[in-house]
Amino acid sequence: MDYAELRREIDEMASSFLFLEKKEIDIPTAGQFLNQIETVTGHAETLLAGEINRLAGGLGQLLEKVVLDAVDAAVGFGLFERGIVLLQSVADGYCNAGRYDGSIDGYMGELAGAIGIPVEANREEAESGAPQAGEAPAGADAASGSDRVQDESLLKDFITEGLEYIGEIEVNILNLEQEPDNKDYINAIFRPFHSVKGVASFLNLDGIRTLAHDLETLLDKARNEALPVTPELIDLILDGSDTLKAMIGQLRDEMEGREATAVIDTSDIERRIKLAEQGADLPKQPKKLGTILVEEGVINEEELEQALERSQIPPPRKLGQTLISEGIASPKDVSRALRKQAQQVTDSNTIRVDIKKLDDLIDMVGELVITQSMIRQSETLQSLGDRKIVRDISQLASITSELQRSSTVLRMIPIKQTFQRMSRLVRDLSKNSGKLVNVVTVGEDTEIDRNMVDEIYNPLVHMIRNAVDHGMELPEDRIKAGKPERGTIKLKAFHRGGNIVLEISDDGRGLSREKIRQKAIKNGLISPTDALTDQEINRLILLPGFSTADKITDVSGRGVGMDVVKQAVEKLRGKMDIQSTEGKGTTFVTGFPLTMAIIDGMIVKVGSERYILPTVAIRQLIRPDRASYNCIVGEAETINVMGRLLPLVRLHKLFDIEPVNRNPWEATLVVMEGEKRSKCLLVDEILGKEEVVIKNLGESLKRIRGVSGGAILGDGNVGLILDPEGLFEMAEAN
Amino acid sequence: MSVNKNLKILIVDDFATMRKVIRNLLKQGGFENVVEAEDGVAALKVLKSQPVDFIISDWNMPNMSGLELLKAVRSDDELKALPFLMVTAEALKDNVVAAVKAGVSNYIVKPFTAEVLNEKIEKIVKSLAA
Repeated sequence: MDYAELRREIDEMASSFLFLEKKEIDIPTAGQFLNQIETVTGHAETLLAGEINRLAGGLGQLLEKVVLDAVDAAVGFGLFERGIVLLQSVADGYCNAGRYDGSIDGYMGELAGAIGIPVEANREEAESGAPQAGEAPAGADAASGSDRVQDESLLKDFITEGLEYIGEIEVNILNLEQEPDNKDYINAIFRPFHSVKGVASFLNLDGIRTLAHDLETLLDKARNEALPVTPELIDLILDGSDTLKAMIGQLRDEMEGREATAVIDTSDIERRIKLAEQGADLPKQPKKLGTILVEEGVINEEELEQALERSQIPPPRKLGQTLISEGIASPKDVSRALRKQAQQVTDSNTIRVDIKKLDDLIDMVGELVITQSMIRQSETLQSLGDRKIVRDISQLASITSELQRSSTVLRMIPIKQTFQRMSRLVRDLSKNSGKLVNVVTVGEDTEIDRNMVDEIYNPLVHMIRNAVDHGMELPEDRIKAGKPERGTIKLKAFHRGGNIVLEISDDGRGLSREKIRQKAIKNGLISPTDALTDQEINRLILLPGFSTADKITDVSGRGVGMDVVKQAVEKLRGKMDIQSTEGKGTTFVTGFPLTMAIIDGMIVKVGSERYILPTVAIRQLIRPDRASYNCIVGEAETINVMGRLLPLVRLHKLFDIEPVNRNPWEATLVVMEGEKRSKCLLVDEILGKEEVVIKNLGESLKRIRGVSGGAILGDGNVGLILDPEGLFEMAEAN
Repeated sequence: MSVNKNLKILIVDDFATMRKVIRNLLKQGGFENVVEAEDGVAALKVLKSQPVDFIISDWNMPNMSGLELLKAVRSDDELKALPFLMVTAEALKDNVVAAVKAGVSNYIVKPFTAEVLNEKIEKIVKSLAA
């Protein structure tokens, strides 16, 4: 490639320009020139022919503007003609002298002026050729046109096809969640919005067109990597498609002559989309008024649902108005809840922090607490007897404990995201199994340690699968049983004590206690003569290898039973319970500690050793009388605790320590509760209760039976945290 | 000179309602000889099986997009002279320029009226006849 060749390319372009039949650059011609210009600029760049590169590039931009009707066609034609001539003389210069002695600046300035300034004045002429292009929102002129398409059958088609298309979004979004970088999935979600927007624009459905357009724009940014695909973005898209679906559904209701419901308010979702587009962190959706009132205990859920239904009856009223006028809630309660709601909206002063930084901070605070506690207990300091030092140290103690409390809260996030993932899982599973299931969530804003979120995910998934697969009946069976065709799975979260409680309830077939019993007898888990309470029978399904489903399905029949769930829950120091009524449904109740970082412990002393017992597992502390102690030779020692005979476990024996007291009536007994049994633990002394920061013992000491971790006690010494279930197993093995 | 209203026009769009919309608009302009395809792949099949005089294609479709269809048509010796009108949602610069470079005959922005559609078709057909 040399200058001569470059000039030949330019000459070719000039001659095809000369041979144009009309003084007009139509689109196919522009296409040819654009391709030729692309070749020229490419070559000019390699030959370092700066002026040619700039000039040809400018001509390319001019053509693009002409194509987009952003420059008047006649003006563009004239400019292009002069540009080509100039280009030829520049090429001549390079060819003859290796450089161009003149200047292209004058022409380039003119070009920039023409390209940069919108040609408002020439619109009318452009109008005859094409609809207004450019950045103006499409559709303004066509929508007001006389022959707008308002055909009823088209509308019907649109409703059916539109709903079907948007339905696809949900499936693809599940995939996208798993592979946020997969452009195919983004495309597959983009397309339905795009298609819906296109048709809506013809049918003059402005609301639908606008929302679909905004969602499409958002996805386009995600596709071009201008926006990261975050769970918040995914939620927003889902919420958006739900709103779109509701709008189309409303259209259908109107067409079918059903009573019109209130106009769907899209302002909130539009606002969220705008924020997301600017790359702002998505604010939490403000809680609904009803939710706040239920949380405050002003009304219950049933009252809320009924009131909401009544609020929909035309003329529609706001929920607050309904509640007040019907005397369900006082104006004071409603206005207080409204204020609370308003606060949430403005409460978006948040920043994002890397979770690792938070973990480090919380760890350091833990160390600080221990160190200050060591200082407080220092005998040297205490012997000084200085009142000021004592006062200052106690001040330090209260500040550090406040610091610890507020730093733990930093890592807390609402359970909402987990619930949303679960809702989607239900949708997906029920689709596969042909069941109709609604998901209701309560207490989405209940907070939990970020580090716990991933841990509780798998047990929750398993319980959800169980509920959909085993709990829910098929629609026809539900109708036969006199239930609504569509089942409901409710996810509920709330705080109780230092725990977060998660409930998963379904209104499915419930546990068949007779079936469970028989199966347990068959499997040798219980004997036919065992008298078990309902609760005990329910809990049988938590035993290893138990499964009552007749058919192994793709979802929960992987040979993994509820026993695995129970183990996973217990590994997290959680508890699990089942409530069920045959024919009515089942509720799995799980309680988890809010955080894995801190444990509420009871410090006990045996001989000279100190141990920490998790307070959750402690039922009672007793010092028995002599009479309640029983020892049958060759059998276990037992203690009569309020009429129940509980086995005695001697901690000093298990850990081979010399105790102070060997007689239970002289020592202290801790009644500990394990999975299905309680035992009395014999210790010398109770030293007190303390919240300790859990330290794991490292890889090599991970599997020590009876010990779940270590902690640094207030005096700086290390104490082992005991695991009740492990201790019981050790005792039983002896 | 008026355009032969008996032109056989192929509408390519994955959204059936959209095809119907375009069909209705064409009918208002007097064009009733219309066939449909739901994406680029299906369109190529139609083009191979019967003579078609004019293509109106959507931009965004699964399997084979409008741009890919355009490129396939332009690189096929039998089909490369076919008039090709691209339907786009907005006049997005990058899309339009890509289509123009690939040899599109013209483009039209949704939503459009029967008149504008008619004008575009006439303009394309006349420039070919010239």
